[in-house]
Amino acid sequence: MGIRLYREPQLNNPILVASWPGIGNIGLIAIDTLRVTLEAEEFAEIEPWHFFYPRRVEIRKGVLEYLEFPSSKFYFKTIQGKDFIFFVGEEQPAEGGRVYAQGKKAYQMANLVVDMADRFKCRRIYTSGAAVALTHHTVKPRVWAVPNNERLIQETSGYENTVLMSDIEGRGGQGTITGLNGLLLGVAKKRGFDAMCLMGEIPIYLQGLPLAYPKASRSVLEVLSHSLQIEVSLGRLDELDEKVERGIEEFYQQIPAEIRAQLDRLKHVTYGKPTEPGPITEEEEKKIMEDVEKFFKKGGGAV
Amino acid sequence: MSQEHSVKIHKEPGLSQSSLVLGWGDDVGDLGRRTTDYLNRKLKGQEFAEIEPEYYFPLGGVAVEGDLAQFPESKFYVCPQHELVIFQSDSPAVEWYGFINSVLDVAERHCQVKELYIIGAMVSLDAHTTPRQLLAVVNSAELKDVLSQYELIGDMDYQTPPGERPTLNSFLLWTAKNRNIPGVGLWVPIPFYLAGVEDAQAHKKILSFLNERLDLKIDFSDLDQEIQEQNGKLARARSRFPEIDGYIQKLESNLMLSQEENGELMRRIEDSLRETS
Repeated sequence: MGIRLYREPQLNNPILVASWPGIGNIGLIAIDTLRVTLEAEEFAEIEPWHFFYPRRVEIRKGVLEYLEFPSSKFYFKTIQGKDFIFFVGEEQPAEGGRVYAQGKKAYQMANLVVDMADRFKCRRIYTSGAAVALTHHTVKPRVWAVPNNERLIQETSGYENTVLMSDIEGRGGQGTITGLNGLLLGVAKKRGFDAMCLMGEIPIYLQGLPLAYPKASRSVLEVLSHSLQIEVSLGRLDELDEKVERGIEEFYQQIPAEIRAQLDRLKHVTYGKPTEPGPITEEEEKKIMEDVEKFFKKGGGAV
Repeated sequence: MSQEHSVKIHKEPGLSQSSLVLGWGDDVGDLGRRTTDYLNRKLKGQEFAEIEPEYYFPLGGVAVEGDLAQFPESKFYVCPQHELVIFQSDSPAVEWYGFINSVLDVAERHCQVKELYIIGAMVSLDAHTTPRQLLAVVNSAELKDVLSQYELIGDMDYQTPPGERPTLNSFLLWTAKNRNIPGVGLWVPIPFYLAGVEDAQAHKKILSFLNERLDLKIDFSDLDQEIQEQNGKLARARSRFPEIDGYIQKLESNLMLSQEENGELMRRIEDSLRETS
């Protein structure tokens, strides 16, 4: 089990930016867009067969020619004098029908990624994922930042459109980041690396749909490029967002009018410190959640 | 990487240049288990090793089949006179690559296996009166040349359709290729209405190939008798149930049946084959 290094790029304390698929593929789309836009070059990959069942076989004239596995690849780029390593995992090494990796394989994969950070003396690691939130799809998604040490908390206060878990009413600074996008933060902490996960908000009623949510990826990229102090063109994301937005709106119109009316109120939810009164009451929030859950339990979400 | 400690060698098999025949216990028509059972019985196979299930099966309880509690088994047998190793196992549920490598570790390190034969079955929409075919997928062009003298269909083109995954046999064949072990995946199409019971003709088709290729000198008179009995039961079912006969005639004419007709045909045939003659 290990990493295949095709070449050894000369990098000076790079920043590692990693992501795997998750809800709405928010983190993955953000990081992969960054990688593609910056034209980062592939230089290594994690050998897949220990982690994944193959996903495609090709047989030609009776000879097994090729077996394809989900890829877990590393790329590098030097831009504006700064070195970056990107890691993009096409799948999480989940077993038993789960979506997210957990247990031994997840830990092994997270460690392999941190091994690369170690090898190239990375000064920081970023991951990205989704934050399921009481928000509406017409509202610009915020970014929840979760650092793995105290020093980084201060830094995030300078980011626009970004909140900490403690800013989210009722959370008390607590929560869970499921799967490898979260686990990597923990493994990085254990091995002494500064790391931060940036999570784009996705409306609670979209979390179960097999849809990408590039609007949130855009928010993540805005924060990430600010944090990395690089300029990134977001044109690719805007095109994707336009397409997806139409699908979401079609889905939204299929929701019964009375539930839609409840969901429409999420347009006015803003997060504040617990001392600040929100535009909807706790009671109302509870009612919205109950109605949404009822609708999706009836199979209303299957479009 | 394999879990080396998951392999238990009870006795060294003492082979110098062997072939490995591998059958899964849970494939279509139970072909893998039946074929490996048959070879073990005829060639007096002796168990010499096994793979412990703890790393490869969930073990959250036991399955019950035919009123009996089942437990996953992965066992190696040796037939020294024929330089033959037989591996019979349930398909692992997790850690496939580790499991496959455990199998190949035993094959290479303890048995000096030079060729691998993987038994497979697939569901077919053909009638049982259509002669069985044997399809072959090899992991080396050299082996393809060697096998061209046998009655195999070996020119298949295939790509995994979207939404599906490759079979464990493909994963095994690919891993064997990476270890320079030539191997062939053998596939017998079994009529869908025999897939839940057994198909003696498919059984004989694959065994006949192995018999010829590995020079096993097996007398198939018992299997011929079984085929005759199964054909008799199927013929009786056709005469007892005219609608069943009609469905089979449609299949013989390459016509498709409706979903309801498929279900009815399967149910009636399975009942008929389970009846004692």
